[in-house]
Amino acid sequence: MSEEEQETKKGFRLLWILDVQKTPCAREALLHGAGGSVAAGLLHFLATSRVRRSFDVGFAGFMVTTLGSWFYCRINNAKLRVQQRMIQEGIKNKVMYEGSDLDPTKRPAAEKPPGPS
Amino acid sequence: MAFPSQLGFQDAASPVMEELLTFHDHALMIVFMISALIGYFIIAMVTANLSDMYILDSQEIEIIWTVLPAVVLILIALPSLRILYLMDEVNDPHLTIKAMGHQWYWSYEYTDYENLEFDSYMIPTQDLAPGQFRLLEADHRLIVPAESPIRVLVSAEDVLHSWAVPALGVKMDAVPGRLNQTAFIASRPGVVYGQCSEICGANHSFMPIVVEAVPLQQFEDWSALMIQDA
Repeated sequence: MSEEEQETKKGFRLLWILDVQKTPCAREALLHGAGGSVAAGLLHFLATSRVRRSFDVGFAGFMVTTLGSWFYCRINNAKLRVQQRMIQEGIKNKVMYEGSDLDPTKRPAAEKPPGPS
Repeated sequence: MAFPSQLGFQDAASPVMEELLTFHDHALMIVFMISALIGYFIIAMVTANLSDMYILDSQEIEIIWTVLPAVVLILIALPSLRILYLMDEVNDPHLTIKAMGHQWYWSYEYTDYENLEFDSYMIPTQDLAPGQFRLLEADHRLIVPAESPIRVLVSAEDVLHSWAVPALGVKMDAVPGRLNQTAFIASRPGVVYGQCSEICGANHSFMPIVVEAVPLQQFEDWSALMIQDA
């Protein structure tokens, strides 16, 4: 328990700005960015043998991959949060309205066909 | 509550604060990327052997460094405005509480149904029980029902104060002669702390705010007990 508390309290701020341990999606985005950067830079160098330009391309790859991964992850998280809220609301409403007239799962009683006059 | 040497926000105790944290992460990632880009430019310029003095203009790069910052600003502005309007939504509160700032304590009034009023003074350091937080604990907490929209009307009796609870994402100035309104929903039962956020005299740092969110049944029992004791 104390180790977990220490882990939750310690964070690592990249460039003293972004806490990659506590910010959701940050760590994955940066790791994807690092991989994209290495891949882009290496491919460019193998194709052109230009070192400085390959570094530039690698950095551009880092920016594009990091931002792409970040926004993709954040959008998915936002969708999950909306679903979570809807489920929570649904559970609360179910508990409140179960068995009452407002219960949406309650089927209306089938009407009896009129008997012979 | 905050821990020593904390740099970031406290954990969110209300949906609005969750949205604010999300927006903060988004803005911070943009800040980080811009900083990384500038850092790379600096390193590239410092380590470059050649310097080209004869470039007069370049339409392409001028367009890029005009359009890109505009896009970044829009990316920041849109979520920001969304949260701004979300915070101002009329949310049909279940309970209205008046928080009055005094030198140097808060007083709370629950006047929806019965007249329930009490003062909330800081517990002095020498009177703290083991485990209590220095300069943050109060003798009477603001008890609110959890998961219910609460409206807080903030004002002051003497000088400017400010009713602030970071975990709820709430801060509202207490101005004498003026009634300011704010609202929050406590997402879960628990205790959250705040401090006066407008300089108000010698003991400005010693008039904390303690909000305790409890299940509705407990809130009803507590309010009945308080009215009975009054």
